[in-house]
Amino acid sequence: MDFDTQVKISVYRHFADTGEAPSTVDVAGRLGCTSSEVSDAFTRLRLQRLILLQEDGATIRMAPPFSGVPTPHRVESAGRWYFANCAWDALGIPAALHQTAVVYSECGQTGEPLRLEVGSAGPEASNWLFHCLVPAAQWWVDLVFT
Amino acid sequence: MLFFRSEERVSEWCGERGVDPRPLVTVPQLWQLATAWYSSRLDATARRPGPDEIRAIFARIGLADPFWDPQADSFAGPS
Repeated sequence: MDFDTQVKISVYRHFADTGEAPSTVDVAGRLGCTSSEVSDAFTRLRLQRLILLQEDGATIRMAPPFSGVPTPHRVESAGRWYFANCAWDALGIPAALHQTAVVYSECGQTGEPLRLEVGSAGPEASNWLFHCLVPAAQWWVDLVFT
Repeated sequence: MLFFRSEERVSEWCGERGVDPRPLVTVPQLWQLATAWYSSRLDATARRPGPDEIRAIFARIGLADPFWDPQADSFAGPS
C-alpha cells in the first residue's frame, strides 16, 4: 500500500474510532513517520478530492462523509457521536461504518428536528426530502457551501 | 445539501433565496446514494467514483436530470 493510501486509511480510521479529525501528529504516530510527511500527503489527498483542509492547510475540515467541525447533522452509532458534512453524508456515515445508527438533523427551512433510525437494511420509512442547491458539476468549486 | 420536512418547505426555502427548487430526492434514494458513495470508504482500495460511474449511479435510482451530471457545462434549471 502506498504512503498516501496509508495516510488516507489512517485518517478515516481515526474518524471512525473517535468521531474527530486526526491531526498530522496523530497520523504520524499511527504510521511511524513525520508530521511533515503527513502534511504533504494531506495536500495530495486534497488534490484528489478525498479530504478538504482548513485555511491553515494542515487541519482536516472534511473527510467525507465525516466532518472535522460541528454541523447540524449528527450521527450516533455504537455509542459514538459523529458530525456529517451535510444531509447526504449523515446517511453516508452509517453506510461507511456498516453499523446501525441514528441520524439527527433538521428541516433546512423551519429547524424542525429530524430523528432517523438507520438499520442494517437502511433508514426507517420517512417522507422527509433531500434538496441540493448546487449542481453536481460544481460541488467541489466550494464544497463547504455545497 | 439539506433535509426538508416537505416539498412545501423546500419551496419556501428556495423562494426566500430567489432560486428555483432543484430535483428532490427521497430518503430511500438518498440511502442508495450514500451506500454507493461511502460503503467502501474505509477500505484501502476505495476511490471516488468517476464521472461515468456517477452518472450510472444517479440513473440507477431515477435521478437522470442534467442537474446530477458531474460534467455538465451548465444547469438550465428544474425539468
